[in-house]
Amino acid sequence: MKKTIAIVEDERAIRDNYAAAFSREGYAVRGYPNRRDAMAAFAARLPDLAVIDISLEDEPEGGFELCRDLRGMSPELPIIFLTARDSELDAVSGLRLGADDFLTKDLSLAHLIARVNALFRRVDALRRPPEEKQVIRRGALTLDSERMSVTWNSEVVLLSLTEFWIVYALTKHPGHVKNRQQLMDAANVVLDDNTITSHIKRVRRKFQVVDPAFDAVHTVYGMGYRWVE
Amino acid sequence: MGRFLDLLKTGPISGFRLRTKLLLLALTTLALPWAGCQYAREMESVLRENEQQSLLAVTTTIAGSLKGRQELLFRADSLPASEQANDPRDITPVVLSGAPLLDGRADEWDQDARSLVRVAGPGGDGLRLFAATHERRLYLAMIVRDNRWVFDASDLTPLDSASIGDRLWLAFDDKRGGQQRLFFGSTGPGAVHARRIETLEYGRETAIDEPRIQGVWQRARDGWVLEIGVPLSMVGQHLGVLVDDRDRRGTPRTSYGTLEASDLRAVGRLIAASPDLNDHLRQFAQPGVEITVASSTGALLTRLDAPALPGDYTRMRGFLPRMYRLFLDGGAIPRAVSEAERAGKAEALTSRAARGTPEAALFGGRYKDSVIVAAAAPIYSADGKRIIGVIQLAQTADRWLTLRDQALTRLLNLTLFVTLFAVGAAFWFAGRMTLRITRLGAASETALGREGSVSRVLPEADAPDELGDLSRSFSSLLGRLDEYTGYLRTLAGKLAHEIRTPLTIIRSSLENLESEAQASNGMGENAKVYIARAREGSERLGAILTAMGAATRVEEAIAHSERHRFDLGALVRSTTDAYGGAFPNRRFVCEVPAERLEINGAPELVVQMLDKLVDNAVDFSTDGATISIVLRAGDSHAELDVTNPGPPLPPEAATRLFESLWQSRAESGTRPHFGLGLYIVRLIAEFHGGSAQAANLPDNSGAVFTIRLLR
Repeated sequence: MKKTIAIVEDERAIRDNYAAAFSREGYAVRGYPNRRDAMAAFAARLPDLAVIDISLEDEPEGGFELCRDLRGMSPELPIIFLTARDSELDAVSGLRLGADDFLTKDLSLAHLIARVNALFRRVDALRRPPEEKQVIRRGALTLDSERMSVTWNSEVVLLSLTEFWIVYALTKHPGHVKNRQQLMDAANVVLDDNTITSHIKRVRRKFQVVDPAFDAVHTVYGMGYRWVE
Repeated sequence: MGRFLDLLKTGPISGFRLRTKLLLLALTTLALPWAGCQYAREMESVLRENEQQSLLAVTTTIAGSLKGRQELLFRADSLPASEQANDPRDITPVVLSGAPLLDGRADEWDQDARSLVRVAGPGGDGLRLFAATHERRLYLAMIVRDNRWVFDASDLTPLDSASIGDRLWLAFDDKRGGQQRLFFGSTGPGAVHARRIETLEYGRETAIDEPRIQGVWQRARDGWVLEIGVPLSMVGQHLGVLVDDRDRRGTPRTSYGTLEASDLRAVGRLIAASPDLNDHLRQFAQPGVEITVASSTGALLTRLDAPALPGDYTRMRGFLPRMYRLFLDGGAIPRAVSEAERAGKAEALTSRAARGTPEAALFGGRYKDSVIVAAAAPIYSADGKRIIGVIQLAQTADRWLTLRDQALTRLLNLTLFVTLFAVGAAFWFAGRMTLRITRLGAASETALGREGSVSRVLPEADAPDELGDLSRSFSSLLGRLDEYTGYLRTLAGKLAHEIRTPLTIIRSSLENLESEAQASNGMGENAKVYIARAREGSERLGAILTAMGAATRVEEAIAHSERHRFDLGALVRSTTDAYGGAFPNRRFVCEVPAERLEINGAPELVVQMLDKLVDNAVDFSTDGATISIVLRAGDSHAELDVTNPGPPLPPEAATRLFESLWQSRAESGTRPHFGLGLYIVRLIAEFHGGSAQAANLPDNSGAVFTIRLLR
């Protein structure tokens, strides 16, 4: 059975373009222009993945509310914010509401589809018992590339998809400096310096939540970042 | 009014400060004292005119009371034909205010030509006779030029011809019509009295003393002087004297004088006022008024001196009254004149009255500012056809001078006070206004901050007057400017946001198009090229949007930044190393202090700041140029210089370079510039408690950007 993706986006042209791209990949796509229509449909049947814009028609923050409601209905449902708004505040808010990723519309369709595929893979992986060969261990860190889950000292660190890919790129070759471009490539995003910095900052903070002494991500000024064991 | 205001703006005082202008305007109140002076002058001339008219009326009244009273005017009731030509032997005594001292000295006599009778004698000898009256006596001074004064012999009777020396005969009519003949002879200088010759029985003659007529005989420089006093009551219409000059005692005499030498008859008239005239005039006497009566020929008959004025004119003392008088006396008041001049003017008045014209006149008095008012009127005979005399009244005008001075001083003091007050008030007001305007001006100048932020609080906003209105309209103007600046500042971000949606539509459509074409393998080579170009264009558009939103993102990043202490030296060193790789066409020189230079801040922001500075340095330098990055440790700040060779900065750059959306260069290359790079530099420097400055190198070979960061 085809997986269903719900696109909640008030701009019809964008919605249809995304729908076409996802259809080509073999997904069933349903598009909704606003929160009411989306919620009405979700009440009948939940999609397998939701792509949500923040401002929806007459509700500037409609996407956030929708995300909250959706997360309430299903804790596992992958949710991606795809928005023209790129402020730090929006990203933090969106991720805090339980979204798996926060993306700007600069993202190419190919990158978007890569993410969607990755998220579906994770959902599948979570249903299977963990496979040892997918797991990277670096000291206190355990990283499962299939389930896209990270633990630090056996405690789960909840990372968004982009953050996970950044950590994955850093820990693959510990001690090597990864510059911004490499990190962006790894995360399948095009981001500017400040956004990369924000992502690194968020990663550090999330690790520090489980271990206040965490200091494994080092900044090499002018070059990039590296993972230090 | 409009023209006046224009004059203020463009006229000769337009170059002055507001304060000076107001002060000059206030000075126009000085016209008040001037107007007061004009008024006082006017008042004074009216007063003077009144004074003259009333004096003339009084004069005419007195003249009327004397009409036809010839007997009052003149000593005898019938003065023969006074219109006849003056006989040189007539005696016209002057009227004295005090009795002369009979001492045989002629020098104290008023040398009035009118009272002088001159008779020439033989051989250079001669007689000069002065006559004067006071009260009821006639005084005569006979000054005789004589080479030798011959005394009478003291041991013989005066009638013995051998004993006779120089003699002086006095003859006059008496009231009964008879002739009185008296002689003076002296045995030496000193007091004498008149003697008359009487014929006794048997034809014997004897000299009898006349004790009522006395005098003093003294030697003079070239002759002798005899002064005598005669009661006027004895004297009739005619009077004369005769000198019998002898060279030796008993020798024949040489006679000359005003008597007929043959029979010693008086032929010259004695023209003098009746003694009753003064009594008559005294009833008209007023304090300060002098009454003079003259004959129709101008001979003075009597003068009734003015009793003292109760309060004489006292000049106001002090500086201000003197200044006021200076203001006033513009020739309206006659100058002080000499005694002779005053007498001449009085005489002219009298002679005009003698021709039948009553007239009043003003002339200067004894001292400066004192004025005399005089009026003269003719006295007519009973039939009104003949003028028998002239009466003149003179009065000092000092009384109203005093009044004028007092009134003026009060008026001028008041106006001067008002003027000073007005000037002071104008000065205070102008000063306050200038201060307020200056404050408002300074505030409005600084209201527009360097970074385009607007302070909307201006002074005077609460003031209810026009300045308050001005301040409020400034405030609303600044408010609108603030809104506009704010709009401009957020425009780039808003625009980027708005454009992002259509851009996404284009991009996703292109990607779909490509995917579709690949799937169906139905796209020609040309179509692929076009699609590639369209993608390239949309990517550039995306880059532009990112650049436009850069400042907003930095502001956001700053808002979310956390500070911690880090080694700025190490950061600058490692970052500069990285630039070598990023810009292979430039050489980078880095100077960093050897010891650690820690600052409290956000390292990633500092890196971003360095990126922008280096971007800027690279953009303005040519390939192969050396860009130097120098870090210095100051007392409170760390100083970072980024120097690049290249064109100098334009002059206006110094203040505007670090503003948002400002750029001096023409668009070049493919990278979009929104003038945000150096604005971001400044934002980050200010976040670190520092500042950003730009300057040209001393030899204009390049520019140096100096950033100060708080340690």
